[in-house]
This record gives sequence, C-alpha cells and structure tokens, in this order.
Amino acid sequence: MRAKTITDLLRKGDRIGVSNITGREANKVTAITQRYANNIVGGWALGKGGHKIVIEKNVSIPVFSDYGELLENLPQKKWPNKIIIYSPPDAVYGDLKNVVNTSAETVETIFIITENVSIEVSSKIHYLCKEKNIDVLGCNTLGIINVIDHVRVGAVGGDQPEETFHPGSATIISNSGNMVNTMATYLYGAGIGVRFGISTGKDQLILTPLKDIMELVQNDKKTKVVILYIEPGGLYEQIALQWMKEINFSKPIIVYIGGTIADETNLSLGHAGAVAEGKGTRAKEKIELFDNYLNFPPYVRGKPLSRTIKPTRGLRIQALHDLPDAARALYNSLQIERDYKHYRPLKLNPWLKNMGKLAKKLPPKLVLSDGVIPSPYKKRFKNILKTHFGKITTLRNMKNASHASSNDGKSPCIYGKSVIDLMTNKSLEHILILYWTGYPPSRNFETELVKQTLVAAFTNGPGTISAQGAKLSASAGNDPHTAMIATLATIGSVHGGNGGKAACFLMDIFANSNLTDPYSSEAKKIVIKAAADYVKKLSKIKQISKETDIPFKKVPCLGHPVYRNESVNYDPREQVLTQYLEKNNIYHAFFDFYHELATNMQKEGITGNVLAVNIDAAIACVWLGICWPLICEKKMTIARAKKIPFLAFALGRAAGGAAEYLDHTDYGSLMDMRVPVSECENLNML
Amino acid sequence: MNQQISELTFLKQLAPRFAILTPEFIEWPSQRQKIQDCFKKWPSAIAKPDILAGGRGKAGAMEMVDTARDAIQTLQRLSSLELKGRMARTSYLVEFIPTNYEVYTAITYDSRYLSPVITISLKGGVDVEQITEAEKKTFPIDIYKGLDVYQAGDILRSLKCPDKLISPIARAVVNLWDMFITSGMQMCEVNPWRITAENKAVACDFKAVYDNANFKQRNPGFELPEYPENISEFEEEMNRWNVSSYQGQAHVSDLNGKGILPILFGGGASTIVIETLIYNNGDPMFLSDFGGNPPYKRMYGTASICFKHKLADAKVLLILGGKANNTRIDITFQAIADALFANAYLRNGKELPVIVGRGGPGLVLGVSAMQRTLDELCWPYAIFGPETPISMVTQYTAELYNYLRTLNSKKA
Repeated sequence: MRAKTITDLLRKGDRIGVSNITGREANKVTAITQRYANNIVGGWALGKGGHKIVIEKNVSIPVFSDYGELLENLPQKKWPNKIIIYSPPDAVYGDLKNVVNTSAETVETIFIITENVSIEVSSKIHYLCKEKNIDVLGCNTLGIINVIDHVRVGAVGGDQPEETFHPGSATIISNSGNMVNTMATYLYGAGIGVRFGISTGKDQLILTPLKDIMELVQNDKKTKVVILYIEPGGLYEQIALQWMKEINFSKPIIVYIGGTIADETNLSLGHAGAVAEGKGTRAKEKIELFDNYLNFPPYVRGKPLSRTIKPTRGLRIQALHDLPDAARALYNSLQIERDYKHYRPLKLNPWLKNMGKLAKKLPPKLVLSDGVIPSPYKKRFKNILKTHFGKITTLRNMKNASHASSNDGKSPCIYGKSVIDLMTNKSLEHILILYWTGYPPSRNFETELVKQTLVAAFTNGPGTISAQGAKLSASAGNDPHTAMIATLATIGSVHGGNGGKAACFLMDIFANSNLTDPYSSEAKKIVIKAAADYVKKLSKIKQISKETDIPFKKVPCLGHPVYRNESVNYDPREQVLTQYLEKNNIYHAFFDFYHELATNMQKEGITGNVLAVNIDAAIACVWLGICWPLICEKKMTIARAKKIPFLAFALGRAAGGAAEYLDHTDYGSLMDMRVPVSECENLNML
Repeated sequence: MNQQISELTFLKQLAPRFAILTPEFIEWPSQRQKIQDCFKKWPSAIAKPDILAGGRGKAGAMEMVDTARDAIQTLQRLSSLELKGRMARTSYLVEFIPTNYEVYTAITYDSRYLSPVITISLKGGVDVEQITEAEKKTFPIDIYKGLDVYQAGDILRSLKCPDKLISPIARAVVNLWDMFITSGMQMCEVNPWRITAENKAVACDFKAVYDNANFKQRNPGFELPEYPENISEFEEEMNRWNVSSYQGQAHVSDLNGKGILPILFGGGASTIVIETLIYNNGDPMFLSDFGGNPPYKRMYGTASICFKHKLADAKVLLILGGKANNTRIDITFQAIADALFANAYLRNGKELPVIVGRGGPGLVLGVSAMQRTLDELCWPYAIFGPETPISMVTQYTAELYNYLRTLNSKKA
C-alpha cells in the first residue's frame, strides 16, 4: 500500500475531489461532509460544469465538466489528493482511469462508493491502481471517518457525524457501512470513542483487504483496540490472521462474525460478496479462525473474564449487543483506559409504545417499561409536536370506507357504537358530539352547551338571508329539501361562517400556549396573558393603521352589538350560554378570553365601548372547548376542529329553514316573494 | 442473483462460438429415429437434466444409457426432475467420450489475488474439494494481459502433464478463458475435460455464472433460456421490482416462514437480524435488505409488495435497521407507513403487533409518521431508537412472537 499509517488514508488537510458530484447521493453527502470536515475542493459531473453545490450563504463547492477541467481551474496547491467516486456503475472505470492517468503523482487514495460495479472492473481497478501506487477503498465502501481529525469521506456518520462519532481509542473496520455507525453508537455507551471508522465494502473483491488495513492500524499509536464486523465470503481474514500471528500483532481486537445462517443454505445475504464460495470462506470457518487466533473463549454476557488468563489478543462476541460489555471488560482486563467515564449498559429503551389490549396479556418479562427519549431526539420530538399541532392523518382511498359509520349486521354504528344503544341511552347532543368528533363528550355539561348553540342557530328572524332563502324556495313551489338546500346555500363565510374564523383565531392564539384543559380554572392565567398580549398587538396595529390609513383587520365575531348605544354590548343568545356556565360554576377559557378581549380593547381605547361577543363566537367557543383536548392529544385534526363550528351553525339553520318553508307553504301564496318590476331600479352604465 | 449458465446452453451456444470441443448431443424432446441414429454413431451416451443446480452426478441425476429405448425413458424422467429446490427445463443426451485422462479446470475471481485465477488438476471428474492441494494448481491471471497458451502450458507442466497432452489442453483452456472474459462471467468450470485417443480435449461437463453487473453479459448474442423456478410469487415479483431501478435496494430471499414479517435495512443489519430471529425461533418470513436510501415511491413499492404477499399471515411486523448513514428515515418510514395503511385491510380487522427500531437522518419525523399510522390502525407497537441494539430488539420480537404463538395454540 502507498499508505504507511492509517492517517495516510485520511487526515486533516487532505483535499477531496468528488466524481458525479451533482448526483442525488453525492450532492447531499458532499454538503454534509463539507460542513463537518471542510475538505472538499471541487467535483465534476458530465454536462454540469459551472454549477455549484451550495453549502451555506457565500460558501459553495465548484462543479466542473470533467476531472481535467477541475485541474485546469483549481490552483495546483488545491489539486485533490483523495478522490471519491460516485459515478454510475458503467462510468466508474472510465472516471477512475481518467483520474489515475492524469494525476498518479498527486492522488494517494481513491474511495469508490458506487455499488454494482462488475467484478472484472474491480479487478482492473486493483491492477491499475497498484501499478500507479494508489490505494483504493471499495467498491461499495461507505467511506471512512478520522474522528480525531474531525474529517471524513463518504457518508459515515450520516447527517450528524458528531452525534455518533466521539474521539477515542477504538478503530472500527466493518464489512457493512451501517455497522460502522451502529457499533460506534454502542461503544460510546460504554465510554469508548472512535479513532477511525472504516467501511471496507463487501463486494466480491475488497480492494483494500483486511491485512492491509491491519498493517496500518498496527502503526497507529492512537488505536488501542480494533473492532471488526465480518461476513462470509473471501479469504481476507485468513490472510490477515496469519500475518497477525506472524508479527505478533500488538492491538487486541473485538470481532463479531455474522452470516452463519448462509453456510448451509442457498440464502442470499444483503451484500454481494457475502457468499461462501469455497473452503475457508464460510462464517463458521471464519469463527474457527478467529477463535484459534484469539486463543480465548468467546465472550459470554454477564460472565466475568478470567483473571488469570488475559484476553491479550482480544475477544469474539456472539451477539452484537454484547459489544459494549465486552469492550468494557476487555479495556479493564488489559488496563486500557476508557475514553469517557460514563457507562450506559444497553437495554430495551422504547421511545414510543402503545401495546393496547395486548399489554394485559403479556407475561412480565415481555412488558416493556417506559423508555426515555435521549438527547438530542427529545428536543426534536418537542419541536415536531409544536410544529404539528393536532392529528396528522394518512390519506387513503375512502370510497367504501368510513371511520364515522359502519354496520355490523345487527345495527348501524357510529364510531363503533350501536345506533340502537345510542337511541335508547343517549341524547341527541351526546350523539352529535360523538359523530362529529369521533369521541363521546368528556364532560356532562358539554351536551347542554351544544343544545343551546343548536337552538340559538335555528333563527335570527325571517329577514335573515338564510330564512329568505327558504321562503324564496317555498314561494317558487319547491319541495322541502330544496328549501333546506336554499337555506344552506345562503349561509357562507360572512353569514354564519364567522364561527369558523373565530375557531381559527382562537387556535392561532392558543396553539403555542400550554393550554390543555380549557375547563380548568388554572387556564385563567394563560387566558389573561393571551388577551393582554393580543390587545397590545392590536393597539400597535391600530396606531400603524391610523398613520398609514390602511384599515386594520377586525377580531372575528366581536363588534356586532345588538344594543349599539350601550357602553357594554352583548348578544343575548351568547349571554344565555355565559350565564349557564357561571351558574354551574364552569370555567371556560375560550368564553373568558373573548370577554377579556372585549373589555381590554375598551380599556386600551381601541374601541369606544365593550363590544358584543356574538353567537358565532359562542358556537366556536363551545365546540373548540370540546375539541381542544382531542387536538392536544393528537386525536383530532385541526382542520376538523375549524370546520365544526360552521357545521353546528348550518345544522341549526337548516332546521330553521325547514320551519320557514313549512310556515310559508301553509300561509303564503306562490310567487309572493317576487319583487314587482316597479320596485326594481334600472342602473345605467356610465 | 447472478445468472447461471447450464451445460446445455454451453453446448448449444457458447462452445461453438469459442471453438471449444464438446461431445455431440441431442436435446429432448426428439424423434425416436434421431435418437436411434445417435446410438449408431456413439458407443454409449449420458442422459442429463437441463437444470440450474450443481451436484447432478452426486445426486444420481445423470445416467449412462446404451439403447435408444433406455435413453427415451430416462430423458422423459429427467426432463421433469426437481433437484435442490430447482426444476429441470428439459433433458438432453450427450455422447460418451472414452478416455484415460480427465482434467479439471475452473476460472474464477480470487480474494487472495484480487484477480481472476485459473485452477487446473489432472485429477478431474471428481468434486474439486476432493482433490488434494498437491494435485491442483491455482494461478492468478493478469486481467489486462489475459491467459496465453504458454502460461497454461507452464501450469500443466508443473502438474506433470504428459507432453503430448500439454498443447491440446492448453489451447482448450485458453479458449475457455476467452469465453470467460469476453462474456462477462464471474466463474466457469469444466470438469472434466476428457482427452480422446486423438489427444483432443473435449469439455464433458460445464457450469458457469455470469456477473450481472458486467455489461458484457447483457447481450450475450443469444436468448438465455428461462428455467422453471419454484421460487415464490413474492420473490419473483420482488426480483422484477429490484431490477427495475438502481435506486435503493429491494433484495429478498423467501424463507417461507410463518411468523415475523421483517422489513430490514442494510446488508449487515439484515444478516444479524435474520440470524438472530432464526436462532431464537422467530420464524422469519423472508430475508430482506431495503437500504441504499430509496426514494419515497421506491420504498412504497417495495413495502407494498411485502405487505401484499405476507401481511395477511404475519404474526408480528418487525421494521428494523441500524443507525443509517445515508438512508432518510423520514422518507422511508413515511413510505412504509403509507403502504402499511393501504394494505391493512388484508388483515380483515385483525390487529398486528409492530416492533420498530431505527436510527439515522430524519429519524424523529420518520418515527412520528410511523406512530401516527399505527395509532390510526389501533395496532399495538413499540418503537426503539438507535441506542437500543438491533440484536436486542430482534430477540424481544422473537420472544414476543413465540409467546403469541403459544397463546394462540392454547386458544386453538
């Protein structure tokens, strides 16, 4: 090998060039690597010359059309000494040949990330690079990471390399890229950090065999222990172990060998090279080889290591989760100082669980105790909960499916509850809450509030647009359902739709608060603060509005005074609801907020009098009170909670429209809603 | 899975093209008269099944026949033979070549040299593992220069091959190399070459494997025959899906298990998980590796195929991988969750316990998506992060499955 120490493979100050840098994978990984290591000087991709990989504002990686153009444009001191190949399989050989023939003197190592490179090309790459004294890792390597120097090539460590790789004394060499990352996580739990993480790739030919890497590790003073993940296929380990015996290899190893299941079957494992193709290549044979080299029984969890015979050559583990325990035991036995003082034994730590009814059937050993979401994930979960207010649903074809209704052959059901039982035992309001929210009322008084809002929505007199709709339809000689449709067709975002706006308004105000139970008097503090904050904001907006002459947006459902000249206005229907709450000593955060708002607005001079909270707001408050805990528990979407208040108004008003229809058809004459021509005004266009 | 090449394909297509001498042969079905004509020319013949399974000789699937009547009966029988889980496509009859010399040759790639190697032995006709190290020679071949007759001759000389046979065998071996390298193979074996009284080397049995990643094998110049395979519909559909795109992996091996449905990520993790499941009686339905950062549509398609074929019968669903470097967990988990939701009807309302473990980019978003779907389905679940080892999660899942199985058998 050209490299003489492991740091020759990758160190701080290396200059990386990236082939096919604009590809899906390369593009993403390169940007993360640059933020972590800042070691990429440029890349190339056919037809993409002149592009840039933007890392952050004012920082980018130049993209050239080909490798030659990269050399022409970069100053010589920036010419890459390491190349990472992301080219598609059929282009790997051409790209590599170009690099090798152009830059044999500057390029020291080539990392081939590409998968599905043919075995013939792999072999040719080996010959070509050997002749030019260039080291090759791959094909199908994930890359390597030099943790102490804080540099990497490839994707080792994913998008958060620091999260997994903490500087330390163990060098990981793995046939699986994922296992580099995974084993580093387990080791850190045992207080052991990583010196180097190396993914060898596991194609049929591994172009930097284990022996070559072990030679480099042998010369590395900072590596105290070597961790190996090995799969079937190839004689790499046999050759390495023979050499290690001959030179009396100085570092202890911990090895895990996977893939024994493939020994006796035709089972095709995940990696192309994990195939037992002859004597010495099977997993069991590799286990024998390592046991023979280690001359120490395999590690058994919970069993202390012998005090008389030391595992000087290391340990073989039989389960991956034995790694931290075995590593700690090895470090202690050989008196190697661990890199970190902490020790977190591995255990089942469920982040989220809901075993439902099954939990009651499980024996104690299968019952999972509550887990703890560790840092930094805990914070990310919190952020998501904040960002994603309410339930998020998965969309599907609903043509013949419904959560709301079903029929079990005995009875129609509403959210699984038999309509027969509901008819017998529950009120209309109870059933309505169940049908619209998916859950029965959580408090008894909710049904009374819903009843009052429904009745309040029935009518506001024959002159209202919606009542007129029904009367017009009756006057035209339509059927009853058409009159109801006419009523529904004449309510909208302005007439009745304000309830929906009020629900949106309240949700915006309280979404980021700690309000979980709107009926708890403890919510009072939150409400007072929210109202005060909002009034302050309104005051500023009003000031700006005055200066700029731009009208400011009004609070929905406020300022619809029935008794306009009174200092305190109110809507008598809303008052019925408020008085019911007061009489029954029920605190309601949303009603309280609206009243606080109206009062504070008058106090702050935003309005001349205390504005009325109208019935649309009251309907919104009632239904949002019912929905709020469900939203907080992510049992209900916010879209549903926003729609319900308007539906409540529409339901009441449709009943009201029906009443107008009945009345009109009994006493009215056909066409009596017609406006005589004489009363119509003809407006001329200017 | 790389494409295997049978002896019959070699006899019909490859040997003539590369001037490799072979015995005369006739493919079943054939007219009685034609078979009778063969026996007029040949002293005797061997009936063989055309099947992509090794060890035909050991398994007694090749029979010496001396008459047309025997040949027809044997060919009929062998044409529907099943061996090592594989089915015969047809059968054929080859001329028997009498000889005093049988030579073994194989060309393959070797991890010791990182190059092609040729192995030759003058003790051919038996399994290579039965030939002692002293009786065979393995030499690396320069991939750029190839193998020439002088090198082949040197190897034969070192094996003490009689002088008169060196040239014909060396020429035959070089032709074999030409076929190997120009058609994109990863291994080929002729065992044995039978040397005729006229000192001609005749290839009397053959097997080879193409390297599917090698562009040369994509258009071999003839149509490769399709072999009836008794692989499951699931594996067949997934194999088709796997080759339909290079993005992400969609690798499965059907294990015909009845217990745990494993959606696994990463070659290493999938090996460890399946091994742990098997050793803990988890009865995995198949081995899978769906890593390689598949985009949403690809992952959705992969998961949908798994669920379409296996969800109805699964006892536990295991979605597990190590701490991903590259694979986006938010995208892959959302895709799996959506596919699960779309196929949940296959359970006919029966809940399915789901165990999940993963780490990597976009983990929290991915886990949240999975949780939402499982909540919506009202299925029991436990979701682990990257600090809980995959092997522990696997052991727990196997124990859970075994307990549920006991519970169900008690109920039954």
